[in-house]
Amino acid sequence: MLPLRLLFRDWRGGELALIASALVLAVTCVTAIAHFTDRLTRAMEQQSLTFLAAERVLRSSQPVDTAWLDKAEELGLQQGQIIQFASMISANDQFQFVSVKAVDSGYPLVGHLEIRRSQDASSEIVQQGPPPGEAWIESRLMPLLEINLGDSIGLGDTQLKVTGLLEREPDRGTSLFDMGARVLANVHDLPASGVIQPGSRVRYRYLFAGDDQALKEYFSWLKPQLTEHQRILDLREGQPRVASALNRAERFLFLAASLAVLLASVAVGLAARRYGLRHTAYVAVMKSLGAGRNKVLAIYLGQLGALTLIATALGLALGSFIQAQAVNLMAGFFPVAPPTSHWSPLLVGLATGLACALGFALPPLFRLARTDPMQTLRKDWSNPDKREWLGLILGPSAMLLLIWWLSGSLAMTLALLAGMALLVGGSALVNQLLVRGKLASLGGAWRIALGSLQRRAAFNTLLIAAFGTGLLAMLALVFARTALIDEWRMQLPEKAPNHFLLNIAPTDVNGMRQMLEKEQVSSTEFYPMVRGRLIAINDTPTKELKDRPNGVRRELNLSWTENLAPDNRILEGGWWDKTSEGVSVEVELAAQLNLALGDQLRFSIGGLEVEAPVASFRSLDWNSMRPNFYMLFAPGTLEGFPATYITSFYLPPENKLLINDLVRSYPSVSVIELDKIILRIRDTIDQVSFAIESVMALMLIAGVLVLIAGVRASIAERLQEAAIIRTLGGRRRLLLKSLVLEFGLLGSAAGLLAAIGAEATLIVLSQRVFELPLMLHPSLWLLGPLVGAILVGIAGTLACYSSVSQPPLKVLRELA
Amino acid sequence: MSAILSAENLYHRVSTSEGPLTLLNNISLQLARGESLAVTGASGSGKSTLLGLLAGLDKPSEGKIWLAGEEITAMDEEQRAAVRARCVGFVFQTFHLLPGLTARENVMLPSELRGERGAAKRAEEFLAKVGLEHRLSHYPRQLSGGEQQRVAIARAFASFSGEDAILFADEPTGSLDAGNGAKIIDLLFKLNAESSTTLVLVTHEQRLAERCATHLQMSAGAVESYESLTGDDNLSEVSA
Ligand SMILES: Nc1ncnc2c1ncn2[C@@H]1O[C@H](COP(=O)(O)OP(=O)(O)OP(=O)(O)O)[C@@H](O)[C@H]1O
Ligand SMILES: [Mg+2]
Repeated sequence: MLPLRLLFRDWRGGELALIASALVLAVTCVTAIAHFTDRLTRAMEQQSLTFLAAERVLRSSQPVDTAWLDKAEELGLQQGQIIQFASMISANDQFQFVSVKAVDSGYPLVGHLEIRRSQDASSEIVQQGPPPGEAWIESRLMPLLEINLGDSIGLGDTQLKVTGLLEREPDRGTSLFDMGARVLANVHDLPASGVIQPGSRVRYRYLFAGDDQALKEYFSWLKPQLTEHQRILDLREGQPRVASALNRAERFLFLAASLAVLLASVAVGLAARRYGLRHTAYVAVMKSLGAGRNKVLAIYLGQLGALTLIATALGLALGSFIQAQAVNLMAGFFPVAPPTSHWSPLLVGLATGLACALGFALPPLFRLARTDPMQTLRKDWSNPDKREWLGLILGPSAMLLLIWWLSGSLAMTLALLAGMALLVGGSALVNQLLVRGKLASLGGAWRIALGSLQRRAAFNTLLIAAFGTGLLAMLALVFARTALIDEWRMQLPEKAPNHFLLNIAPTDVNGMRQMLEKEQVSSTEFYPMVRGRLIAINDTPTKELKDRPNGVRRELNLSWTENLAPDNRILEGGWWDKTSEGVSVEVELAAQLNLALGDQLRFSIGGLEVEAPVASFRSLDWNSMRPNFYMLFAPGTLEGFPATYITSFYLPPENKLLINDLVRSYPSVSVIELDKIILRIRDTIDQVSFAIESVMALMLIAGVLVLIAGVRASIAERLQEAAIIRTLGGRRRLLLKSLVLEFGLLGSAAGLLAAIGAEATLIVLSQRVFELPLMLHPSLWLLGPLVGAILVGIAGTLACYSSVSQPPLKVLRELA
Repeated sequence: MSAILSAENLYHRVSTSEGPLTLLNNISLQLARGESLAVTGASGSGKSTLLGLLAGLDKPSEGKIWLAGEEITAMDEEQRAAVRARCVGFVFQTFHLLPGLTARENVMLPSELRGERGAAKRAEEFLAKVGLEHRLSHYPRQLSGGEQQRVAIARAFASFSGEDAILFADEPTGSLDAGNGAKIIDLLFKLNAESSTTLVLVTHEQRLAERCATHLQMSAGAVESYESLTGDDNLSEVSA
């Protein structure tokens, strides 16, 4: 067991600690992040499932064949049912138009309801809807109907006792067109009520949950049988916006984990290189004592193996521990109770340990085994071995495979690679510029700093690349995160309209406008709305179109206006003046339908047909929370058809009661309370950004540790140099200043490089992964060098401080 | 006595950025068991190169070398390493102790590389012979130059595992002051006599060279003079 004994002896000399701690650090970071992202991703997925109140939902406009439900039963799936429709309810001769949601005992399969049993009780969590004969209502309905808890409301021919105030439904907000206040009832009461008549607009939702295999089997059986009126909703389809936010967050977290791996590998690479150099002398001596190449390899592979094993095990344990602590600390922030850990993050940690050790520590060892024993007889130890290609290829390709595996995205891996390639090439260049510069003329400390930089030119290239990677990671993360969150913010602008009013009778428009003005609520324009179907394009019936786009499969809301809304932009064609006619088409729908300017569109509206030429293509922002239309007509074309009006406005929470006044004054108007939906989305975004910030913090710590590991690698040399300068009469102040200068310069060089690399990475990421618009970041170019100088300056100076502070005699003696 | 080390028409050339360079030019020599050879010459004349080749650290470009009855020029690196492990010991100018290992561990190293048992005990014996029995667990940085060289000598003698033992010393006093250097040389010759080791010594010092039975003087990679110093008996002088 020579290798082990050598390992422990060498350890006692304090020299293997660096490579081991780099490895531990690497595995710890990755394991912690992998654990954390794994649990968070699963928590967020679970959270998103609550938006559906199930794992899968079958939506239908008619009751489905009971054979379908039996089949699900057979496969052991859990089931629930929702029947949703708009209806009038009555109490005390008051009538209200409400949105009734009748549920069975299965609902909700995922998530929970929150209700209050009395007006001043606090809310409680329940896992089922109301029992037959009871109903839960939103508190807003109580004054409107002049009822109290315990009173009854009439739904069609039945009376339901109001036993709870509904605070929260998991799946509220799955549709923007939930009209009116909510009444939650039990499906068993529906037949007796008689409110569902043939022709009523009713939506059926069948909820499913169960194990993945059974779900998969069930839905692949079901899918071919679905009609046009039926659709399967899952996590991604059910909530496109949340799903895409989740998807992006997931990618982002994996990107962070990948960068952590990269940082870690740089640390291991630095340490391993150092280790190899230091051991060249050892190996030359051992060889002269009779160790052959195979023996040397065996010894060092044995050492590396033992070291890797121990360090990885330690890293796995530490990473799991840190992650568990972090999750416990943040339990409150998790959308749902944090799911328990999988074993897969451990696998990730193990793979990382192996990849770092094999990829970055193996090449120096092979090189070591080739050491020429004749060196022992020479006076210089520099042994330039040109066969470095193994080291240049093995490490990066190990990382590439690892990151690819981690991120599951070749695009992301290539983006990272692009940034890295730029960085390594650039660091050599920047280093040359730094060393060749005329800074030495600036004085004593500058000369010492530059001398130090010059002496370590080769090593500094590596250091710049390493610092650069760390900084690049941080910059890219900060800016990518900012871009993401900004985009989310933009999706939900402050004071974005949070209420929609629909079904406004033309005669009510003026009165309502005055009412809003009196309350100083500024609304968007009141748009007339006529429902119609696009039936032909240039006399070609749309029924004959290949894979018919959504826009022709259902009725569209058609509108007309004189003024272009602020979020709308004409891309082609012209907006109307007083005389022109035609229809302006939303540009993406136009592309789907292959429309050209001047094409004749024929619409069917309530049995009558209308034709209009395409006058313009228009882009618009669906996220503006304003009423928006695929088809906008010139004033005049649709005036003869019966229209209702729609508007939206921002209502501050303290004015919420205005809704009641509005509904009381105009009972036929439907109100959509977007603020509740927005609140739900905001919650999710807050959680996502918190997750990102936590990962950022971990990354920062990893970056600083890598930095220190890199600086410590040169500490022996520095100690000696500092001791010599001090013996020659140099002051400590001078040395300190030169240290600050040296690392400040190194840091700003690395920062500059990181800025370039981060910009490149961001460009690739924004194009290939996040699908954000292309943007340059001038602040990055300022921030990079500045943060680099400060961070590296402080960390480097601190890491080297002992070289300045130790008595020179002691240093010279120990290093002789 | 049969020759334990002999070289025949050695040439050594290397290619450098300035073209091919001849380091050794037709060198032949013979050394009997228990004999001592001093190699002298100006700096850069090729002394260390010759030493390295004789010890099997590298292969000459041309010529043959027999060490302990085996032709090491016909061997590959692994085989030469095996010969070194058995028969060769080194003392270097700059000591070359492994800094992470204690004195005892440094001396244990050759035995451990051969996979022998009892390495620690053997190491302690040799350290006692060089007078360092009280510094067993000190690290090289805690020892003076002379002490470090004594550890290196102990390590060199711990390198032999059989009858055939050749000690190669490349300017063993080069990093030491005169007093320490003299002590080291005395020690070297004393141990050499005790265990009838063969000694190949590279040195600048004429005084030192004169204590060896054979003297090879080099100049620019070639033999300038090669003579056996008979007459006064070096060995008896040392043991006296
Ligand atoms: N691998 C090599 N490549 C190029 N030149 C070499 C190589 N090895 C040795 N030399 C050169 O060969 C010459 C002889 O070197 P060697 O070390 O043997 O000299 P030396 O006699 O030991 O000198 P010193 O007394 O200074 O130790 C020197 O000029 C040295 O620079
Ligand atoms: Mg020499």
